[in-house]
Amino acid sequence: MADVKIATIPSVEIDPVTLDIIENALKNTRFEMDAVLYRTAMSPVIREQHDQFPMITDPHGRMVVGQFGSYVAGLMESWDQSLEPGDVLLLSDPYLCGGAISHVNDLLVLLPIFYHDELIGWASMFGHAQDVGGPLPGSLPTDATTIFGEGLRLPPVKLYERGQINRAVIDIMLNNVRQPEMNRADLMAIVASCRTAEKRVIELCDRFGKDTYLGACQALLDRTHRAMQQLILQNLPEEPQFFEDYIDDDGLGNGPYKMKLTIYRKGDQAYFDWTGTDPQALGPINFYLNEGMFKMFIGVYLIMVFDPQILFNDGFYPLLNVTMPKGSLIQPEFPAALGCRTHALTRLFDVLGGALAKRAPEFTTAAGYGTSPYLLYSGYDKEGEFFYLMEITYGGIPGRPIGDGMDGHSWWPLFTNIPTEYLESYYPIRIDAYSSIMDSGGAGFHRGGNGIEKVYTFLEPGEISIHDDRWLTPPWGILGGTPGMRSQKLLRRADGTEEVLPSKCDRIVIEPGDQLVYQTAGGGGWKDPLTRPTELVQRDVQYGLVSREKAIQDYGVVLTESLEVDAAATETKRAEIATARGQVKDFDFGPSLEELVATAQEQTGLPAPQKPQPVKWAVAKTQRRAQLEATNGNGSGKKEKVATHG
Amino acid sequence: MAYRIGVDVGGTFTDLMLFHEETERYWRHKTPSTPHDPSEAVINGIARICEEASVDSQNIAQIMHGTTVATNVILEGKGARVGLVTTTGFKQILHLARSQTPGPLAGWMIMIKPDPPASLADTREVGERMNAQGEVVHELDEVAAEATMRSLIETGIESLTISLINSFANADHEKRLKAIVTKINPNLPVTISSDVLPEFREYERTLTAAMNAYVRPKVEHYMTNLDNQLKAQNVNADVSILRSDAGLMTVDTARQNPVYAIMSGPSGGVAGALHLAIRAGYPNILTFDMGGTSTDVALCMGEPTIARETVLGYFPVKVPSVDVRSVGAGGGSIAHVPELTKALRVGPQSAGAVPGPACYSKGGEEPTVTDANVVCGYLPPKLLGGEMQLDVEKARASVQKIADATGLGLEQAAEGILKIVNENMFGALRLVSVQKGFDPREFALMAFGGAGPLHGNALAELMGSYPVIVPPAPGLLCALGDLSADFRDEFAQTYIRTIDQIDRQELTSMLKALGKEASDILTAEQIPAERQEVQYSLDVRYYRQGYEIPLRVEVDEFEQNGVHRLAERFSQLHERLYGFQLDSAVEVVNVRAVGIGKVTKIELPEAEPGSPDPSAAHYGEQQIYRHGEWMPAQLYDRAKLQPGHQIEGPAIVTELDSTTVVLPHHTATVDRYYNLLINKSK
Repeated sequence: MADVKIATIPSVEIDPVTLDIIENALKNTRFEMDAVLYRTAMSPVIREQHDQFPMITDPHGRMVVGQFGSYVAGLMESWDQSLEPGDVLLLSDPYLCGGAISHVNDLLVLLPIFYHDELIGWASMFGHAQDVGGPLPGSLPTDATTIFGEGLRLPPVKLYERGQINRAVIDIMLNNVRQPEMNRADLMAIVASCRTAEKRVIELCDRFGKDTYLGACQALLDRTHRAMQQLILQNLPEEPQFFEDYIDDDGLGNGPYKMKLTIYRKGDQAYFDWTGTDPQALGPINFYLNEGMFKMFIGVYLIMVFDPQILFNDGFYPLLNVTMPKGSLIQPEFPAALGCRTHALTRLFDVLGGALAKRAPEFTTAAGYGTSPYLLYSGYDKEGEFFYLMEITYGGIPGRPIGDGMDGHSWWPLFTNIPTEYLESYYPIRIDAYSSIMDSGGAGFHRGGNGIEKVYTFLEPGEISIHDDRWLTPPWGILGGTPGMRSQKLLRRADGTEEVLPSKCDRIVIEPGDQLVYQTAGGGGWKDPLTRPTELVQRDVQYGLVSREKAIQDYGVVLTESLEVDAAATETKRAEIATARGQVKDFDFGPSLEELVATAQEQTGLPAPQKPQPVKWAVAKTQRRAQLEATNGNGSGKKEKVATHG
Repeated sequence: MAYRIGVDVGGTFTDLMLFHEETERYWRHKTPSTPHDPSEAVINGIARICEEASVDSQNIAQIMHGTTVATNVILEGKGARVGLVTTTGFKQILHLARSQTPGPLAGWMIMIKPDPPASLADTREVGERMNAQGEVVHELDEVAAEATMRSLIETGIESLTISLINSFANADHEKRLKAIVTKINPNLPVTISSDVLPEFREYERTLTAAMNAYVRPKVEHYMTNLDNQLKAQNVNADVSILRSDAGLMTVDTARQNPVYAIMSGPSGGVAGALHLAIRAGYPNILTFDMGGTSTDVALCMGEPTIARETVLGYFPVKVPSVDVRSVGAGGGSIAHVPELTKALRVGPQSAGAVPGPACYSKGGEEPTVTDANVVCGYLPPKLLGGEMQLDVEKARASVQKIADATGLGLEQAAEGILKIVNENMFGALRLVSVQKGFDPREFALMAFGGAGPLHGNALAELMGSYPVIVPPAPGLLCALGDLSADFRDEFAQTYIRTIDQIDRQELTSMLKALGKEASDILTAEQIPAERQEVQYSLDVRYYRQGYEIPLRVEVDEFEQNGVHRLAERFSQLHERLYGFQLDSAVEVVNVRAVGIGKVTKIELPEAEPGSPDPSAAHYGEQQIYRHGEWMPAQLYDRAKLQPGHQIEGPAIVTELDSTTVVLPHHTATVDRYYNLLINKSK
């Protein structure tokens, strides 16, 4: 970045009106980026399911709008080539961007925005490509033990150089993937979306002047900083609070893996410490967590819980201090496998919410279905054409302060399901049922959402993969709410035999007529179910979302044959349950971990995972780095890069 | 002898326009709406306007009616109890929706999900199955289905929807189920999804059909009421209803498929605006309809842009609609400064009609956009001919709160409020123009609605869209739109093929069949052949993209040249919209024929332009605040302005239902049709 003229941010006063106008324009631009991508991308994961994340930054790479936190600053530090108007950068290696993207499927495009030859910011977007090569369609093998067993890794390269496309890069990439047409379209769509942002930012500079625009970016960052300062002072504990939760297994039979977070504040500085989190896994469930991104998660979470009107940006980063142990599940040593990191990414929020809940339980939610359940199905159809489907499924949203958790909805922002008629039009598959599972949501004053049951019949021979979690440890309830039901996968062969499939598996050979019953977990309940209004319990039973039995057992609500509330019997039943139960628990995790492990085979049909053992090479590597750092003093970003690959 | 009446029932007022075809004379009338039974205001209005024009109501041949009955039923959640029948395994289709939660991360925490139009308690499954190619996988079990239907109907549902998986490809099972219901209870309104929306994507199709069922009884009731009362008044006119896509449909169609009219209100405004703009010589316009609580904008190029989907609150309803974008920004929008961020925000809360802006002295105290206009002098305190006196002191006191919270001066705060609300509306206008690849500088801006002419010039400055056209009586455009709309009916079919797989014969015969359906309907509606037109279009995309772009096509051309030019045309459009093309295959998704029955257009008065001197209409002066300073603006009476008159800004033109601001360095000219055309001064 030596020759790049980076615009300086002037210290100008921005009047509140102009600031508001620029804020709105940037917000709109961010949604326009989404719209362009949805409309032009080709893979259902991006197009129908919206697995993609946009961002606009200031000249220093700090995110001004977006939703995933900025990684640009780190990249700028290590970029040693020229950077000119018309350049567009592409990368897909999580280890070369500090975890900005966390698996090789994410194609990350960065477009430097120049205004009269000065760098005034970046537009960036990443989207999940359905396949980026490697041994299995989807590039997310559940049994990978290093990143070399996943898919193609692109270091930061110029996809466009001064407006000219770099054919070599495209050709190498597309030659290594299973559906080159789709990747090309998705990549072009991501670039188009960044170009939209570029155009809008330049328009803003034309209209208000570059200095006003940059001053406004700074003012927006400052505003979020001040707002977050207040949130920290009001809502974070001075006494350290910690919370632990688990990822069930690593796809190789090891687990469960603990994630532990401790939170406290000193003045307006907040501390988030992951010490106590398990060492990295052998299987691909490691989540290489970017520090900036984690700060954004914290910020987004605090903002959503306490004041949803605030604009998210990087302005509050200096207020947050994060400790992430090297060699742990969230900071694995290269070349640990990373493909299936959504379990840890989701669990991170469960742990964050749990730790914050100890201070402000009324504001926080229970745990949800807790992952991103995938189904992958590939093979060759009758014409000899390769087909490959990747579908993301959803589950129970937890009970929330604002109301019940939604049944079978997405925990991920703006994601949608793939229409059955779309699936059946384009793939050799039939959907026999798509519904939420009765009683799978935890009971509560606000009920946890039910998990999803989707029944697939496969019409061509092929292979399937499954990615899910929460088959062993149920999503917890909060303040008296009970846990949600666990996930399960059942394969019903065309010949009538049945087998339980693991929650993470690959290479399951399928014959036409085989049927898969795919069930995701329910969400935990929020607060005491005995206080839930009886008419809501009655409605849920009428709707077929809760059974009469569960209405009695968990809610103490007695319904007649015709589903009328028996008020007297209900009162008695509720009193009886209350006495038997005693004080409600702050968190209800269901049975203890030991018990869950001991009863796994019997209750789930799957063997219990083995207690995780440290990955020896990773331990050695962590130790060597510690020694090197001790002798060399503090390391720069450059050295870190070398050490990571060394 | 042939008269026709345009009637627009709005939230506050019902507007009527009576037109005599032979003499081209017209009369207007405005009466308060009667929300408890909207037909009351319609009937009263018709009686009054006939009286004013001394026309025997028996001579009215046609009533063209824009109505928000269906819209309000949905927005107020007061529709029928709807039963829903689905394919086994899909009972929860509306409950699960598309599983979407709002952004950003953790947006699900604050999501509020409204109840769908059919409750799960009133949903039943029937055993049957089609595949996506329209082949039967499981035959419909009619005996079991009949028992299921009976038990559902017995629960007391008022309207029924049948929506089966893949019915877009083969509607046979839906039709057979409908026949069973008709046998059980011939009076129960039944909506089948393949009728309302024969397109793939089951959630949107089911939702649209259920919405139709939801509004249907209320709309039928309204139509019957209206019909009876018209008969009682000796009016034997044909009534037609304005659809969301600014076409007319017969009452019978409206009874069956009222969901086609959910955007009837805004589409009337767009149709009216476009009619006047074309006469004035500006077929390319952005419409800017600013009212008290919201602003509707749309882009037209000789005809309105039609969108395939309308979002009503939470629900994406897939009916063809004029692509009107609405922002919650109007004259009544309230300005506020949130504690935590100290940002200046305007809306979406609105003071509404009650208590209204502070300056109305009806008890409102919150600072609104109207108050800011009063403080800055754009709205004169005493409107000429108006009954209402605006209270300047109350306006200033309300805006002072914003000044105090932001540290700005009073006038600065007022101007800030105006800038921000203008920016919000600018955002909506950008959505329909810039973001669709259109350059707003190539469009004129048609400003109407109560507050449109007040802000139109400022918006044109932001957009570069000139001239600003302010029509005569800008508050009465919808009734004119109803009167100038054509009959319209759509027939579509899903047909998913990449271009190289298309059988030219199959496609052209499909188009022709759809076209025949369209012209048959027009003929049945007694529209003579010379006034009939059938337009064809295909929804096209790159193979496996998720969204389609409609392309107008000619059947003859397909027959002669095949469909290959389609790919090229599509790629060019894709390039304009999104900035890139692909080498991928291009595929057709839906095939559509639109039947149009032309209606004779209404002509409004015109006169040869005369002298540019407007002094006869000048009646005073008023101070306005702009860019931080006060300056004098001249006041003019719109009623006295004549074609040819030219007004130099800053100026304010007042009339009964609206006020037009002409900014400094701008000139307003009265054209031969009495429109005000505001341009930058030479």
